[in-house]
Amino acid sequence: MKQSDHGAYVRKVQEGAQSFAQDLLGEIERLRMLVATLEAERESLAGKAQEAHQVFKVNEALRALAASLEAEMNRLHEQAIAVRAENERHQKEQARLLAQLDGVRAETTAYSSRYAEIELQNSNLANLYVASYRLHGTLERQEVIDTLKEIIANLVGSEEAGLFELDEAKQSLELVASFGISPEACSSVPLGSGIIGRAGQTGEIYVADPAGPPSGSGLEGRLTACIPLILGGRVTGAIAIFRLLPQKAGIEDLDRELFDLLATHAATALYCTTLHERFALEGARR
Amino acid sequence: MSKKKVLVVDDSPTAMFMVTTILKREPYDLVKAHDGQQAIEVAAAERPDLILMDVVMPRKTGFEACRELKQREDTKSIPVILVTTRGEGENVEAGFESGCNDYITKPINAQELLAKVRDHIAG
Repeated sequence: MKQSDHGAYVRKVQEGAQSFAQDLLGEIERLRMLVATLEAERESLAGKAQEAHQVFKVNEALRALAASLEAEMNRLHEQAIAVRAENERHQKEQARLLAQLDGVRAETTAYSSRYAEIELQNSNLANLYVASYRLHGTLERQEVIDTLKEIIANLVGSEEAGLFELDEAKQSLELVASFGISPEACSSVPLGSGIIGRAGQTGEIYVADPAGPPSGSGLEGRLTACIPLILGGRVTGAIAIFRLLPQKAGIEDLDRELFDLLATHAATALYCTTLHERFALEGARR
Repeated sequence: MSKKKVLVVDDSPTAMFMVTTILKREPYDLVKAHDGQQAIEVAAAERPDLILMDVVMPRKTGFEACRELKQREDTKSIPVILVTTRGEGENVEAGFESGCNDYITKPINAQELLAKVRDHIAG
Protein backbone atom coordinates (compact mmCIF):
# COMPACT_ATOMS: atom_id res chain seq x y z
CA MET A 1 0.00 0.00 0.00
CA LYS A 2 1.13 3.30 -0.83
CA GLN A 3 1.84 5.86 1.79
CA SER A 4 -0.83 8.17 0.43
CA ASP A 5 -3.32 5.40 0.57
CA HIS A 6 -2.30 4.61 4.10
CA GLY A 7 -2.76 8.25 5.10
CA ALA A 8 -6.20 8.32 3.50
CA TYR A 9 -7.06 5.13 5.21
CA VAL A 10 -5.90 6.52 8.59
CA ARG A 11 -7.78 9.66 7.96
CA LYS A 12 -10.76 7.68 6.96
CA VAL A 13 -10.40 5.57 10.11
CA GLN A 14 -9.85 8.66 12.17
CA GLU A 15 -12.86 10.27 10.63
CA GLY A 16 -14.84 7.07 11.18
CA ALA A 17 -13.56 6.97 14.71
CA GLN A 18 -14.41 10.60 15.21
CA SER A 19 -17.82 10.09 13.72
CA PHE A 20 -18.29 7.02 15.92
CA ALA A 21 -17.07 8.97 18.91
CA GLN A 22 -19.43 11.76 17.95
CA ASP A 23 -22.28 9.29 17.60
CA LEU A 24 -21.26 7.64 20.82
CA LEU A 25 -21.13 10.90 22.60
CA GLY A 26 -24.52 11.74 21.12
CA GLU A 27 -25.84 8.37 22.23
CA ILE A 28 -24.26 8.81 25.65
CA GLU A 29 -25.86 12.21 25.88
CA ARG A 30 -29.18 10.75 24.77
CA LEU A 31 -28.81 7.94 27.28
CA ARG A 32 -27.82 10.42 29.97
CA MET A 33 -30.86 12.40 29.11
CA LEU A 34 -32.92 9.26 29.17
CA VAL A 35 -31.42 8.27 32.50
CA ALA A 36 -32.17 11.75 33.82
CA THR A 37 -35.69 11.50 32.51
CA LEU A 38 -36.06 8.04 33.96
CA GLU A 39 -34.55 9.25 37.20
CA ALA A 40 -37.04 12.11 37.30
CA GLU A 41 -39.82 9.72 36.43
CA ARG A 42 -38.62 7.33 39.09
CA GLU A 43 -38.57 10.08 41.61
CA SER A 44 -41.97 11.18 40.51
CA LEU A 45 -43.22 7.61 40.69
CA ALA A 46 -41.62 7.21 44.09
CA GLY A 47 -43.46 10.35 45.24
CA LYS A 48 -46.65 9.07 43.74
CA ALA A 49 -46.09 5.69 45.31
CA GLN A 50 -45.63 7.36 48.66
CA GLU A 51 -48.71 9.43 48.02
CA ALA A 52 -50.54 6.30 46.96
CA HIS A 53 -49.34 4.61 50.11
CA GLN A 54 -50.63 7.45 52.17
CA VAL A 55 -53.91 7.46 50.29
CA PHE A 56 -54.06 3.73 50.86
CA LYS A 57 -53.45 4.24 54.56
CA VAL A 58 -56.13 6.95 54.67
CA ASN A 59 -58.41 4.69 52.70
CA GLU A 60 -57.76 1.88 55.14
CA ALA A 61 -58.51 4.19 58.02
CA LEU A 62 -61.65 5.38 56.29
CA ARG A 63 -62.69 1.81 55.58
CA ALA A 64 -62.15 0.95 59.23
CA LEU A 65 -64.13 4.03 60.21
CA ALA A 66 -66.88 3.11 57.76
CA ALA A 67 -66.95 -0.40 59.19
CA SER A 68 -67.11 0.99 62.68
CA LEU A 69 -69.83 3.44 61.65
CA GLU A 70 -71.76 0.67 59.98
CA ALA A 71 -71.48 -1.41 63.13
CA GLU A 72 -72.58 1.60 65.16
CA MET A 73 -75.42 2.21 62.71
CA ASN A 74 -76.49 -1.41 63.00
CA ARG A 75 -76.32 -1.16 66.75
CA LEU A 76 -78.37 2.06 66.68
CA HIS A 77 -80.83 0.52 64.26
CA GLU A 78 -81.29 -2.42 66.60
CA GLN A 79 -81.56 0.00 69.47
CA ALA A 80 -84.15 2.02 67.52
CA ILE A 81 -86.16 -1.15 66.90
CA ALA A 82 -85.98 -1.95 70.59
CA VAL A 83 -86.95 1.60 71.51
CA ARG A 84 -89.83 1.51 69.03
CA ALA A 85 -91.00 -1.77 70.51
CA GLU A 86 -90.66 -0.32 73.99
CA ASN A 87 -92.49 2.80 72.88
CA GLU A 88 -95.30 0.74 71.43
CA ARG A 89 -95.44 -1.22 74.66
CA HIS A 90 -95.56 2.06 76.62
CA GLN A 91 -98.27 3.42 74.35
CA LYS A 92 -100.32 0.30 74.87
CA GLU A 93 -99.70 0.52 78.61
CA GLN A 94 -100.61 4.20 78.56
CA ALA A 95 -103.81 3.47 76.64
CA ARG A 96 -104.63 0.70 79.12
CA LEU A 97 -103.94 3.04 82.07
CA LEU A 98 -105.99 5.82 80.48
CA ALA A 99 -108.87 3.42 79.99
CA GLN A 100 -108.44 2.30 83.60
CA LEU A 101 -108.30 5.94 84.71
CA ASP A 102 -111.49 6.67 82.79
CA GLY A 103 -113.07 3.72 84.52
CA VAL A 104 -111.87 4.92 87.92
CA ARG A 105 -113.02 8.45 87.11
CA ALA A 106 -116.45 7.20 86.08
CA GLU A 107 -116.60 5.07 89.21
CA THR A 108 -115.55 8.04 91.37
CA THR A 109 -118.19 10.23 89.75
CA ALA A 110 -120.78 7.54 90.34
CA TYR A 111 -119.63 7.16 93.95
CA SER A 112 -119.62 10.89 94.64
CA SER A 113 -123.01 11.25 93.04
CA ARG A 114 -124.25 8.33 95.12
CA TYR A 115 -122.59 9.88 98.19
CA ALA A 116 -124.34 13.20 97.54
CA GLU A 117 -127.60 11.33 97.05
CA ILE A 118 -127.12 9.44 100.32
CA GLU A 119 -126.12 12.62 102.12
CA LEU A 120 -129.30 14.28 100.83
CA GLN A 121 -131.36 11.27 101.93
CA ASN A 122 -129.62 11.42 105.30
CA SER A 123 -130.45 15.09 105.62
CA ASN A 124 -134.04 14.44 104.67
CA LEU A 125 -134.24 11.61 107.14
CA ALA A 126 -132.63 13.81 109.77
CA ASN A 127 -135.42 16.36 109.31
CA LEU A 128 -138.11 13.70 109.62
CA TYR A 129 -136.33 12.02 112.52
CA VAL A 130 -135.95 15.30 114.41
CA ALA A 131 -139.61 16.21 113.87
CA SER A 132 -140.84 12.79 114.94
CA TYR A 133 -138.46 12.55 117.91
CA ARG A 134 -139.33 16.00 119.17
CA LEU A 135 -143.10 15.54 118.79
CA HIS A 136 -143.09 12.30 120.72
CA GLY A 137 -140.50 13.39 123.26
CA THR A 138 -142.98 14.95 125.64
CA LEU A 139 -146.39 14.51 127.20
CA GLU A 140 -146.81 18.22 127.82
CA ARG A 141 -149.33 19.77 125.47
CA GLN A 142 -147.60 23.18 125.45
CA GLU A 143 -144.30 21.55 124.63
CA VAL A 144 -145.84 19.78 121.66
CA ILE A 145 -147.26 23.10 120.46
CA ASP A 146 -143.87 24.80 120.95
CA THR A 147 -142.21 21.95 119.11
CA LEU A 148 -144.62 22.35 116.22
CA LYS A 149 -143.76 26.04 116.09
CA GLU A 150 -140.05 25.23 116.11
CA ILE A 151 -140.49 22.58 113.40
CA ILE A 152 -142.34 25.06 111.20
CA ALA A 153 -139.73 27.78 111.79
CA ASN A 154 -136.57 25.68 111.64
CA LEU A 155 -137.46 22.84 109.30
CA VAL A 156 -140.13 24.28 107.02
CA GLY A 157 -139.02 27.92 107.11
CA SER A 158 -142.05 29.97 108.11
CA GLU A 159 -142.80 32.30 111.00
CA GLU A 160 -146.51 32.49 110.38
CA ALA A 161 -148.66 29.52 111.33
CA GLY A 162 -151.79 28.46 113.13
CA LEU A 163 -152.73 25.22 114.86
CA PHE A 164 -156.37 24.22 114.82
CA GLU A 165 -158.25 21.46 116.60
CA LEU A 166 -161.58 20.03 115.51
CA ASP A 167 -164.62 20.93 117.53
CA GLU A 168 -166.97 18.14 116.52
CA ALA A 169 -169.99 19.78 118.09
CA LYS A 170 -169.48 23.00 116.20
CA GLN A 171 -168.15 21.25 113.08
CA SER A 172 -165.36 23.78 112.96
CA LEU A 173 -161.63 24.05 113.34
CA GLU A 174 -160.76 26.10 116.40
CA LEU A 175 -157.45 27.97 116.60
CA VAL A 176 -155.54 26.76 119.66
CA ALA A 177 -152.14 28.32 118.97
CA SER A 178 -150.60 30.66 116.46
CA PHE A 179 -147.50 32.71 115.80
CA GLY A 180 -146.79 35.50 113.39
CA ILE A 181 -150.48 36.07 112.59
CA SER A 182 -153.37 37.80 114.25
CA PRO A 183 -155.39 35.08 116.05
CA GLU A 184 -158.61 37.00 115.54
CA ALA A 185 -158.30 36.60 111.78
CA CYS A 186 -158.93 32.85 111.95
CA SER A 187 -160.01 31.89 115.44
CA SER A 188 -162.73 29.57 114.14
CA VAL A 189 -163.00 28.08 110.67
CA PRO A 190 -166.17 26.11 109.76
CA LEU A 191 -165.46 22.76 108.11
CA GLY A 192 -165.72 23.11 104.35
CA SER A 193 -165.27 26.90 104.46
CA GLY A 194 -162.27 28.33 102.68
CA ILE A 195 -159.05 26.46 102.04
CA ILE A 196 -158.43 25.57 105.68
CA GLY A 197 -162.01 24.44 106.20
CA ARG A 198 -161.92 22.33 103.03
CA ALA A 199 -158.62 20.69 104.05
CA GLY A 200 -160.24 19.91 107.42
CA GLN A 201 -163.24 18.42 105.68
CA THR A 202 -161.43 16.36 103.01
CA GLY A 203 -158.36 15.41 105.00
CA GLU A 204 -156.17 16.31 102.03
CA ILE A 205 -153.03 18.36 102.37
CA TYR A 206 -153.21 21.68 100.55
CA VAL A 207 -150.10 23.23 99.02
CA ALA A 208 -150.44 26.56 97.20
CA ASP A 209 -149.23 26.83 93.64
CA PRO A 210 -146.38 29.38 93.86
CA ALA A 211 -146.87 30.38 90.23
CA GLY A 212 -150.64 30.79 90.46
CA PRO A 213 -152.73 33.60 91.97
CA PRO A 214 -153.64 33.42 95.69
CA SER A 215 -156.27 30.73 96.15
CA GLY A 216 -157.91 32.33 99.15
CA SER A 217 -158.90 35.72 100.40
CA GLY A 218 -157.84 37.64 103.51
CA LEU A 219 -155.40 35.71 105.65
CA GLU A 220 -155.84 32.66 103.39
CA GLY A 221 -154.39 34.71 100.55
CA ARG A 222 -151.01 34.23 102.31
CA LEU A 223 -151.57 30.53 102.88
CA THR A 224 -148.71 28.33 101.69
CA ALA A 225 -149.92 24.98 103.01
CA CYS A 226 -152.62 23.46 105.15
CA ILE A 227 -152.01 20.09 106.75
CA PRO A 228 -155.00 18.27 108.22
CA LEU A 229 -154.12 16.33 111.37
CA ILE A 230 -155.38 12.78 111.00
CA LEU A 231 -155.73 10.14 113.67
CA GLY A 232 -157.35 6.77 112.99
CA GLY A 233 -158.50 8.00 109.59
CA ARG A 234 -160.34 10.98 111.06
CA VAL A 235 -159.40 14.63 110.92
CA THR A 236 -158.67 15.99 114.40
CA GLY A 237 -157.28 19.38 113.48
CA ALA A 238 -155.09 21.25 111.01
CA ILE A 239 -151.86 23.19 110.74
CA ALA A 240 -152.00 26.23 108.50
CA ILE A 241 -148.66 27.58 107.30
CA PHE A 242 -148.79 31.08 105.87
CA ARG A 243 -145.90 33.06 104.37
CA LEU A 244 -142.53 31.36 104.06
CA LEU A 245 -139.31 33.08 105.10
CA PRO A 246 -138.01 35.34 102.30
CA GLN A 247 -135.04 33.08 101.56
CA LYS A 248 -137.25 30.01 101.18
CA ALA A 249 -138.15 29.73 97.51
CA GLY A 250 -141.10 27.38 97.90
CA ILE A 251 -142.36 24.07 99.17
CA GLU A 252 -139.98 21.24 98.31
CA ASP A 253 -140.31 17.47 98.21
CA LEU A 254 -138.81 17.23 101.68
CA ASP A 255 -141.45 19.64 103.01
CA ARG A 256 -144.18 17.44 101.53
CA GLU A 257 -142.69 14.44 103.33
CA LEU A 258 -142.56 16.46 106.50
CA PHE A 259 -146.22 17.48 106.01
CA ASP A 260 -147.16 13.80 105.64
CA LEU A 261 -145.30 13.08 108.88
CA LEU A 262 -146.88 16.02 110.70
CA ALA A 263 -150.36 14.99 109.56
CA THR A 264 -150.20 11.82 111.63
CA HIS A 265 -147.46 12.42 114.19
CA ALA A 266 -148.64 15.86 115.31
CA ALA A 267 -152.17 14.47 115.63
CA THR A 268 -150.92 11.53 117.68
CA ALA A 269 -148.69 13.71 119.86
CA LEU A 270 -151.51 16.16 120.59
CA TYR A 271 -153.93 13.30 121.29
CA CYS A 272 -151.44 11.68 123.69
CA THR A 273 -150.94 14.92 125.60
CA THR A 274 -154.74 15.33 125.84
CA LEU A 275 -155.05 11.78 127.18
CA HIS A 276 -152.17 12.35 129.55
CA GLU A 277 -153.73 15.56 130.86
CA ARG A 278 -157.08 13.77 131.29
CA PHE A 279 -155.45 10.90 133.20
CA ALA A 280 -153.47 13.37 135.26
CA LEU A 281 -156.65 15.25 136.12
CA GLU A 282 -158.49 12.03 136.97
CA GLY A 283 -155.57 10.89 139.06
CA ALA A 284 -155.58 14.18 140.92
CA ARG A 285 -159.33 13.89 141.56
CA ARG A 286 -158.91 10.45 143.09
CA MET B 1 -105.55 13.46 116.09
CA SER B 2 -107.95 15.08 118.53
CA LYS B 3 -111.48 15.79 117.39
CA LYS B 4 -112.44 19.34 116.56
CA LYS B 5 -114.83 20.91 119.02
CA VAL B 6 -117.99 22.69 117.91
CA LEU B 7 -120.11 24.81 120.24
CA VAL B 8 -123.77 24.81 119.23
CA VAL B 9 -125.85 27.63 120.69
CA ASP B 10 -129.64 27.67 120.36
CA ASP B 11 -132.53 28.18 122.76
CA SER B 12 -134.86 26.08 120.61
CA PRO B 13 -134.62 22.40 121.59
CA THR B 14 -135.80 21.38 118.13
CA ALA B 15 -133.23 23.51 116.32
CA MET B 16 -130.53 22.33 118.73
CA PHE B 17 -131.55 18.71 118.18
CA MET B 18 -131.58 19.23 114.43
CA VAL B 19 -128.10 20.74 114.34
CA THR B 20 -126.59 18.17 116.67
CA THR B 21 -128.23 15.35 114.72
CA ILE B 22 -126.57 16.64 111.56
CA LEU B 23 -123.18 17.29 113.17
CA LYS B 24 -123.11 14.02 115.11
CA ARG B 25 -122.39 12.22 111.84
CA GLU B 26 -119.11 14.13 111.60
CA PRO B 27 -116.03 13.57 113.75
CA TYR B 28 -116.68 16.54 116.03
CA ASP B 29 -117.01 16.92 119.76
CA LEU B 30 -120.19 18.87 120.36
CA VAL B 31 -120.74 21.21 123.28
CA LYS B 32 -123.97 23.11 123.82
CA ALA B 33 -125.23 26.39 125.17
CA HIS B 34 -128.80 27.62 125.27
CA ASP B 35 -128.42 31.40 125.17
CA GLY B 36 -125.91 34.07 124.28
CA GLN B 37 -124.56 34.58 127.79
CA GLN B 38 -124.01 30.88 128.31
CA ALA B 39 -122.33 30.71 124.90
CA ILE B 40 -119.66 33.18 126.04
CA GLU B 41 -119.04 31.24 129.25
CA VAL B 42 -118.85 27.87 127.50
CA ALA B 43 -116.65 29.28 124.73
CA ALA B 44 -114.18 30.69 127.28
CA ALA B 45 -114.08 27.43 129.19
CA GLU B 46 -114.08 24.95 126.31
CA ARG B 47 -112.22 26.91 123.62
CA PRO B 48 -114.10 25.32 120.73
CA ASP B 49 -112.78 25.32 117.16
CA LEU B 50 -116.05 26.76 115.88
CA ILE B 51 -119.22 28.34 117.25
CA LEU B 52 -122.55 27.83 115.52
CA MET B 53 -125.01 30.25 117.08
CA ASP B 54 -128.65 31.19 116.62
CA VAL B 55 -129.44 34.91 116.50
CA VAL B 56 -132.73 35.18 118.38
CA MET B 57 -132.09 34.01 121.95
CA PRO B 58 -132.85 35.12 125.51
CA ARG B 59 -130.34 36.89 127.84
CA LYS B 60 -128.02 37.82 124.96
CA THR B 61 -128.81 37.62 121.25
CA GLY B 62 -126.44 35.93 118.84
CA PHE B 63 -125.27 39.34 117.58
CA GLU B 64 -124.46 40.56 121.11
CA ALA B 65 -122.74 37.34 122.08
CA CYS B 66 -120.74 37.31 118.86
CA ARG B 67 -119.62 40.91 119.38
CA GLU B 68 -118.46 40.08 122.90
CA LEU B 69 -116.72 36.89 121.82
CA LYS B 70 -114.82 38.81 119.16
CA GLN B 71 -113.72 41.43 121.71
CA ARG B 72 -112.36 38.95 124.21
CA GLU B 73 -108.72 38.03 123.82
CA ASP B 74 -109.33 34.35 124.63
CA THR B 75 -112.19 33.82 122.17
CA LYS B 76 -111.71 36.34 119.38
CA SER B 77 -110.00 33.89 117.03
CA ILE B 78 -112.81 31.32 117.20
CA PRO B 79 -114.83 31.39 113.97
CA VAL B 80 -118.53 32.11 114.51
CA ILE B 81 -121.31 31.08 112.15
CA LEU B 82 -124.64 32.75 112.91
CA VAL B 83 -127.93 31.04 112.16
CA THR B 84 -130.38 33.71 111.10
CA THR B 85 -134.08 33.51 110.46
CA ARG B 86 -133.86 36.20 107.84
CA GLY B 87 -131.22 36.23 105.15
CA GLU B 88 -131.99 39.76 104.06
CA GLY B 89 -129.35 42.48 103.71
CA GLU B 90 -129.91 44.24 107.02
CA ASN B 91 -129.73 41.10 109.08
CA VAL B 92 -126.66 39.82 107.30
CA GLU B 93 -125.01 43.20 107.65
CA ALA B 94 -125.75 43.23 111.38
CA GLY B 95 -124.25 39.76 111.61
CA PHE B 96 -121.01 40.74 109.92
CA GLU B 97 -120.84 43.95 111.96
CA SER B 98 -120.96 41.83 115.09
CA GLY B 99 -117.84 40.09 113.78
CA CYS B 100 -119.28 36.76 112.65
CA ASN B 101 -117.31 34.85 110.06
CA ASP B 102 -120.26 33.43 108.18
CA TYR B 103 -123.98 32.85 108.43
CA ILE B 104 -126.61 30.36 107.40
CA THR B 105 -130.32 30.94 107.15
CA LYS B 106 -133.29 28.97 108.37
CA PRO B 107 -134.71 26.55 107.48
CA ILE B 108 -131.54 24.67 108.24
CA ASN B 109 -130.18 22.88 105.20
CA ALA B 110 -128.01 20.01 106.37
CA GLN B 111 -125.69 20.09 103.38
CA GLU B 112 -125.14 23.83 103.59
CA LEU B 113 -124.55 23.57 107.33
CA LEU B 114 -122.04 20.74 106.93
CA ALA B 115 -120.24 22.50 104.09
CA LYS B 116 -119.83 25.72 106.09
CA VAL B 117 -118.80 23.97 109.27
CA ARG B 118 -116.23 21.84 107.39
CA ASP B 119 -114.96 24.90 105.60
CA HIS B 120 -114.42 26.97 108.76
CA ILE B 121 -113.04 24.07 110.75
CA ALA B 122 -110.50 23.35 108.00
CA GLY B 123 -109.59 26.97 107.33
